[in-house]
Amino acid sequence: MTLVRTYRALLLAGFQQAAQYRVQSLLWMLFSIVRPVIFLAAWVAVAVAQGGDIGGYRVGDFAAYYVCMTFVSQLVMAWNSHEFEWEVNQGRLSAKLLRPLHPLHYSVVDNVIFKLNTLPVLVIILIAISLSFGARYRTEPWHVLAFIPSVILAAALLFMFNWVIASLAFWATRMRTANTLFQRAAFVFAGQIAPIGLMPGWLQALSFALPFWYMMGAPTEILRGAVTPEQTWLILGGQAAWLAVTYVAFLSIWKRGLRAYQAVGA
Amino acid sequence: MIRYLRIVRTFMAAELKNEMAYRLNLALGIFEMLLVVGTSLGAVLVLFTHTSSLNGWTLPQMIALTGVYYLIQGGVNIVFSPSFEKLMEHVRMGTLDFTLLKPANAQVLLSTRHFAMVRIADLFIGAGVVAAGLYMLSASVTPWSLVSFAVTLACGVMLVYALLLTLVTLSFWFVRIDNIMAIFWAFTDAGRFPIDLYPGWLRFTLATVVPIGIAVTVPSEAISGRMAPETFVGMLAGTALAVGFASWFWRIGLRNYTGASA
Repeated sequence: MTLVRTYRALLLAGFQQAAQYRVQSLLWMLFSIVRPVIFLAAWVAVAVAQGGDIGGYRVGDFAAYYVCMTFVSQLVMAWNSHEFEWEVNQGRLSAKLLRPLHPLHYSVVDNVIFKLNTLPVLVIILIAISLSFGARYRTEPWHVLAFIPSVILAAALLFMFNWVIASLAFWATRMRTANTLFQRAAFVFAGQIAPIGLMPGWLQALSFALPFWYMMGAPTEILRGAVTPEQTWLILGGQAAWLAVTYVAFLSIWKRGLRAYQAVGA
Repeated sequence: MIRYLRIVRTFMAAELKNEMAYRLNLALGIFEMLLVVGTSLGAVLVLFTHTSSLNGWTLPQMIALTGVYYLIQGGVNIVFSPSFEKLMEHVRMGTLDFTLLKPANAQVLLSTRHFAMVRIADLFIGAGVVAAGLYMLSASVTPWSLVSFAVTLACGVMLVYALLLTLVTLSFWFVRIDNIMAIFWAFTDAGRFPIDLYPGWLRFTLATVVPIGIAVTVPSEAISGRMAPETFVGMLAGTALAVGFASWFWRIGLRNYTGASA
């Protein structure tokens, strides 16, 4: 109950704070939009070169895929590990650790506020992209229904995974390499390069096994209506399993890290 | 001119000494770059498992273009982005006055003050990728294609420099401009494909407001021998115009600068 009250207070304060930086959050949204759009353009060029159809994908399917991908990547976005590195390097973490609330909660609030603030403009942009590329959705009502838990699981998974990376900052003050590793793994396996169906077989297998596809590609496929009910259950199961693993990993790493942590400048 | 080259060399040496103190950092930086370039090449290969041509660009040409993309980024990231980052901080902290008092051109001093020497590795990696593309292309590299490549590549870096200088000049009025800079970083990703691939509005943006598209595509066309002579002339004129505009705007901004606490 206290947690609900705390969250309400934090959200309220956060929204008021964010109101000052509305243009800023819109600019940061560009980061989620540009990459899907350029890969969409590339696949459209490929489809056109091959007479309009690659392995069952037409221009409209690519458009639907990348519009959904943009929507999902904005909704699941997390940036804690960058922030955390900065806080550790600046010696600001110690003050945050002394507060009665776990630092995780503050970043949950920041995260939710950013997404809610940018959503309306994003939806307008995505509708425009959908229309200009003639996106073809095969979404049925149950897909939308299944998308909701799937995107929440994906956001939670990405968020917790980011926190696992962030906790490494307790030991190392240079986190850039870990971040880059994560980003490039997401680039290859999360479905940013291509819909998973168009990846070479061994990359498909790896994507299904690793957690990254469940952070972005999986909810994208559900939202554009490209999966059967059985596949959807499998996806949700995979997401839940990876979230559980990541959460347990985070708890143990955080506990150990806190013990090992020696504040910079202390 | 010689004097300025000496100044730049001094800056470079100082930064190199500074960075050699963190050797692990250096090694990790190179490792990251290999990872980034490798996965980007992977993306190109995935696209080409389904086609043999991307809007007229063959696989070897696309590999060369990927190399050019990292060459341009490396060129910008070695000196201009670290220097401009510090410049913005100077404006915010009011320490810019010290540099302005020095008896040399402030634009040169502030654009070249800081080097990220690790990024020299990026140039080697980028050049290696271009060379691999050329090898696969097995096209005869003519002296003209090499010269035009070198010239347009330098132009590409200067185009991006002009944009960054213009943006950073805005900090004389607005102080906090990290967000305006973010526009550039967000669009950088679009340089990984040739500009002719994109829909009109994006192509226009990447050719004018955020010229990363032109900066990458034109040198790639030059090295794969598909550049029209008009493009070469246009690139030279456009770069001269952009750099001219940027330094004119810089001088206006400088005149407007009043110091953070004055």
